[in-house]
Amino acid sequence: MRSEDHLSDKHLSDQELLLAADGELATRRAAQVRAHLAACWDCRARMAEIEGTIADFARAHRQNLDPQLPPIDGPRALLRAQLAQLASKHPVGSWRWLFQFYSPVRAAAFVGMVLIAFLAAAMVGRTFLQHSARRGTDPALVASERGSEPDRSLTPGATRMVAVGDVCSMPHEEVIAEVSTSLRREVFQEYGIVNAHAGDYEIDYLIAPGLGGVEDIHNLWPEPSTSRTWNAHVKDDLEERLHQMVCAGKLDLPTAQREIATDWIAAYKKYFHTDRPLSLRSDLIRLREARRAVGD
Amino acid sequence: MSPTGSIADSNDLPFPNAADAAFSAKPSDIEREVMELFEQFRSPLLRYALSFGVPVHDGEEIIQEVFLALFRHLQSGKSRKNLRGWIFRVAHNLALKRRYANQRSLDGMALDAAIAERQPDPSPNPEEQLSSAQRRERLLAVVRVLPEADQGCLRLRAEGLRYREIATVLGMSLGAVSMSLTRSLARLIRADGR
Repeated sequence: MRSEDHLSDKHLSDQELLLAADGELATRRAAQVRAHLAACWDCRARMAEIEGTIADFARAHRQNLDPQLPPIDGPRALLRAQLAQLASKHPVGSWRWLFQFYSPVRAAAFVGMVLIAFLAAAMVGRTFLQHSARRGTDPALVASERGSEPDRSLTPGATRMVAVGDVCSMPHEEVIAEVSTSLRREVFQEYGIVNAHAGDYEIDYLIAPGLGGVEDIHNLWPEPSTSRTWNAHVKDDLEERLHQMVCAGKLDLPTAQREIATDWIAAYKKYFHTDRPLSLRSDLIRLREARRAVGD
Repeated sequence: MSPTGSIADSNDLPFPNAADAAFSAKPSDIEREVMELFEQFRSPLLRYALSFGVPVHDGEEIIQEVFLALFRHLQSGKSRKNLRGWIFRVAHNLALKRRYANQRSLDGMALDAAIAERQPDPSPNPEEQLSSAQRRERLLAVVRVLPEADQGCLRLRAEGLRYREIATVLGMSLGAVSMSLTRSLARLIRADGR
């Protein structure tokens, strides 16, 4: 410590100099320190040393870690989506008292309420389903539910022999490779889809190229663009997530390939810790479709 | 994700009553506020988490958890005092939980050195480049062998936190923060041969 190096009590201690440099002194004491510094070259020099060193360390700290920081865009979008979901779950802060069980009676009452609500929802749901089945007016919805996952006998998934390093250093164009027109036609044929409008379906890779999937008829299926919930954009988010995890060494490639090929919706739920899509993009698409519907 | 709440909330009051909550801002305002704070603090927080030797991917997850916890904290109408200190404290607790203890001392050092070599200053003189990278490595090496609390104080100070915020994050007194920083700086100055 400085007060030991310089035996004069009049000099300021390192601690006080640092407090002054950091603006942590009380106003009165700060003024006294300033007055002393103005008169004492020794303390001024030490102060400069302290300030210089702390600034150098701060710079070293940043320069050392900044190269590792990924761009903020992805995390920003993910956080926004998660917040939106959280907000929709708890729209009003005052709801939370409901979940505070001060007594067993209240807990039982809560469980009862939930049961009644569940039964009511089930009844309404059944009526609605019977109704729509009778009318048969919502084939798009039914198709979307059916089409969100591929027919496993036609599209079991296909991969190439690839090392993790290759997958992670793939150029972006390859990751989002377009499927050739002739192959698209074959896939539609295989699934017995005729007269599909452009834009009704997206020919999607089951195992994404970014995870070692190949452009092969066994790895492609027509995913309905009309799917409200589990659509191609939601799957893109999963692919991105798995790709990141594989490249960060958090997940091995064969597991990622197997899980996305077996049941990508289950994989999404597992890796995003959610029961429904978080995707901001799918929300935007829904919004855009709604606008188009009202002719905006 | 659930443990976050308990860490974050440990020093706070229990749930507010319905009347309090009625005064809290609308969720959309809170969402916007959380996003603004995210823009502001994501890099400092991620740097802080990485300095624990946590891999980048885990660091990103920690930051997400921090801001979700912040959202819940604000949504339930809890204290807005010293929010920056609060945010760093949650990140600190989560990073501690995730830390990969073994990687930290050895691999961390090798990684730091490798990065220091890869990222020379854009200075025209190669000798200056070398000496500046060496000097940076020397400073970082001094910090790495400091006691954990001292390292924490320095890194939080390097991110621009005030002493009372550092005290909140690390659970120390103001005096202890001041003494720790003084001690560490004296060591840095000595190592620097100034």
